[in-house]
Amino acid sequence: MNNRLFTTNFSNDDTHQKPIHPAVNVSFQREWFKELQQRIEHNGPWDQWSMFQLAMEAREATVIHSFDELLCLRSLPSIEPMPHQLETAKRVLNEMGGRAILADEVGLGKTIEAGLILKEYLLRGLVKKALILVPASLVLQWVRELNTKFGIAAVAQKKSHSWGYEIVVASIDTAKRDPHREVVLATDYDLIIIDEAHKLKNKKTTNYQFATQLSKKYCLLLTATPIQNNLEELFNLISLLKPGQLGAQGEFNSNYVADKRLPKNEEQLQHILSSIMIRNRRGDGGIHFTKRIVRNITLELSKEEQALYDAVTDFVQQQANQDGIDISSILSLVTLQREVCSSRDAVFLTLVNMFKKTAEDSPVRARVWELVEVIRAITSNTKAEKALEIINECEGKVILFTEYRATQEYLLQFFEKHNIPAVPYRGGMNRGKKDWMMDIFRGRARVLIATEAGGEGINLQFCNNMINFDLPWNPMRVEQRIGRVHRLGQTEDVNIFNLCTKNTIEEHILHLLHEKINLFELVIGELDHIIERLESKEGSIEQRLAKAILRSRSSQQLHEEIDHIGASITTYQKDKINN
Amino acid sequence: MNTKQIHRFVLKYLEATQCEILDKSPYHIKVKLSQAADRELTNRPYYWSFIDRLNETPETMSFLFVTDEEKYEATVAQQPVEEPKLLTPEEKAMERAYGIVPKPLPRIPREHLHFGSSRLKQLFESAENNGSYVCLYQEPQTRTLHPYDSRPYTVWLGINYMVEFSCDLKREEIHSLGISLVTGHCQEQFYDRLTSMRLSPRLPANVHIAKNGISYTKALSIAESHLEKRLKSYNYEWAEKAQARLQEELERLEGFYKPLLAQATDEEQKLEIEQLKEKREEEIRWQYEPRVTVSVINSGIFHLDGID
Repeated sequence: MNNRLFTTNFSNDDTHQKPIHPAVNVSFQREWFKELQQRIEHNGPWDQWSMFQLAMEAREATVIHSFDELLCLRSLPSIEPMPHQLETAKRVLNEMGGRAILADEVGLGKTIEAGLILKEYLLRGLVKKALILVPASLVLQWVRELNTKFGIAAVAQKKSHSWGYEIVVASIDTAKRDPHREVVLATDYDLIIIDEAHKLKNKKTTNYQFATQLSKKYCLLLTATPIQNNLEELFNLISLLKPGQLGAQGEFNSNYVADKRLPKNEEQLQHILSSIMIRNRRGDGGIHFTKRIVRNITLELSKEEQALYDAVTDFVQQQANQDGIDISSILSLVTLQREVCSSRDAVFLTLVNMFKKTAEDSPVRARVWELVEVIRAITSNTKAEKALEIINECEGKVILFTEYRATQEYLLQFFEKHNIPAVPYRGGMNRGKKDWMMDIFRGRARVLIATEAGGEGINLQFCNNMINFDLPWNPMRVEQRIGRVHRLGQTEDVNIFNLCTKNTIEEHILHLLHEKINLFELVIGELDHIIERLESKEGSIEQRLAKAILRSRSSQQLHEEIDHIGASITTYQKDKINN
Repeated sequence: MNTKQIHRFVLKYLEATQCEILDKSPYHIKVKLSQAADRELTNRPYYWSFIDRLNETPETMSFLFVTDEEKYEATVAQQPVEEPKLLTPEEKAMERAYGIVPKPLPRIPREHLHFGSSRLKQLFESAENNGSYVCLYQEPQTRTLHPYDSRPYTVWLGINYMVEFSCDLKREEIHSLGISLVTGHCQEQFYDRLTSMRLSPRLPANVHIAKNGISYTKALSIAESHLEKRLKSYNYEWAEKAQARLQEELERLEGFYKPLLAQATDEEQKLEIEQLKEKREEEIRWQYEPRVTVSVINSGIFHLDGID
């Protein structure tokens, strides 16, 4: 009876209401009595006494004895929540009335907390219909987690009839569009969970408008971004959850806002926030991460490989200096250079594609062909040999990341030749195949060769060795890679091997990531905020790097340029710490 | 519910639905479902409509229900691996001809029935749906000596109530009441009394039913007022608190929307804000409003020995 509005207002023959206390009425349901009378009249049909007893036994087993004891734990044998997650779930349920912002730092398991709360409400019968709004790329991951970890029959919204299911996971961008919009807005949801809720901070956006129009009883907003940094955004988010918690807009501005980013009466503000928001931090007690052991392995290219690298660099410089070249072609040119550092297969594939694309009479065609000729001379891959050596020395399983499909294929063959069972993993695989690959890796394979780190479902706590065969330029992607193995639940220290070729751009990139940003030792979760802020001001890191590389005439100059980029990141980092 | 209780429950359910138990230990049950249980549990409406329309003999599903995963694994590990059976002459011939011996594929899905698993939940629901109304007679405790002796039986209306106390939180209680239709007397913990005796769906010999003094409707109102009186004696601090939270939230909303309404420039905008405000108020009532709901788990007519 709890999943409908106005439960107390309706009254008909089947329900009888009586006041039993000034604060509350009792209502008796009588539908059953009619049915009983009918059966008496017709002398049956009657149910079995044994079934009658089983029904009582079932209800006795599921009866909710107390208002505040967590029931969900005994029905979740497959997860063991951390103390801070349990604490959070209890507070949201018992003290916050089921409306809260869960703002734990990245990697502390906000999803688990939300899952616990949802499960508890389901078990108590307080939630029947729930809507989970997440970014499109996370829909399947949410569905899988709810299904496998929590035994909750959540369904991904795919067709318009999917809205009819009790627990639906959908992307907010789909939900807000016709024809879905109407259906969603006409439904009363017992619980709405919005993941990545910081995207709703601007009240002028259609997403925000849509969110305010939803009907909900309980509501959880999940975000890892510390929204305290912008007071206006904070106010908007809280207005979504509990309008008026911070007073009306005017009051809020005069009571708490000194400047856009600077609060006043901070203590009082924090006090109010703590009644609506929970933010667990890594530094808090009880949350333990294992160590990261980073080893950079610098390799000398073989004579033939170095020749190819030099030839490609020449070619790239030449092409880049042509007039009217746009940023996307710059990026693809620099990619050539990076590919040489990975494998000859990678660069070969790109060159062939380039050859096909250029006009038949273009002089570039001949140049490209020359490069292909240089590739022929290469017979071995220095990095692959080294990777093999590392894998043979490592105990247990190893995950190897590369940026390029061709390198992945090459390595698969290479490992097979050396009798190391390896499986591939890439973004283009469908869900079933991904799962299959994971199962093999968990089982008999020793090495997983992956081209994508982000995206859903690769949580590899059982593996603690990782090789970066080549490094992505975006520090976020590196962090995502590490995050696959170095996360809650990892019991061993994590070994990270970075393979880096001498006298190439790779050397510079590693210099930037490792020494300048100190990426590998950063506290997990800090990085995304830094990068997000930096990129919103100064453009993507990849583009800045590519430009720097093509501008530089000498290795020395490039070094300085990269130091400059590194410095700007560190500034934001310091900003963050001071905050 | 611990694993033993779950095991007992599942076994009783399967027996009540006349399923064929193929194999069992304290940790597992291998079962071939009866038709009724298959229709109830396997979610194969198309299969069953096909069978019904064609009048075919159905093949019901078999399951391996494991109630204690750990111990079951341990016992399985202990068992010696079965020696491959010797081939029959037919099979030998098959092997010579085709290179393989076709084996019947026994598809017996294995399921772990733990508390909270969806299958167990399904069994619970099935029991609740199929054990709602009964009409039973107590079996006489002692054999009457004289064949013409007759014992008087009283008709009781037995009701198992579920009382829900809810606001944004929730708690439940089970109350079992029995009302004698002869005297109108109301007895608490009636279900416990029932489980201590032997009941049968048939009227025993040498028994006569005493005349009812009150109607079923009267008995119902006796039960309800009895329960109401019980509930009135409870502590409702939780409801008062919920009302207070509700009021506080409503005031907060008022404070939030008032300046917005004052600022609204045109009627259309005003209307929009007002609608939003109403929506938020509705939600808060929905969330916090305390309520006590009394529903019925199951009920029945019980003919019990003696007059009381």
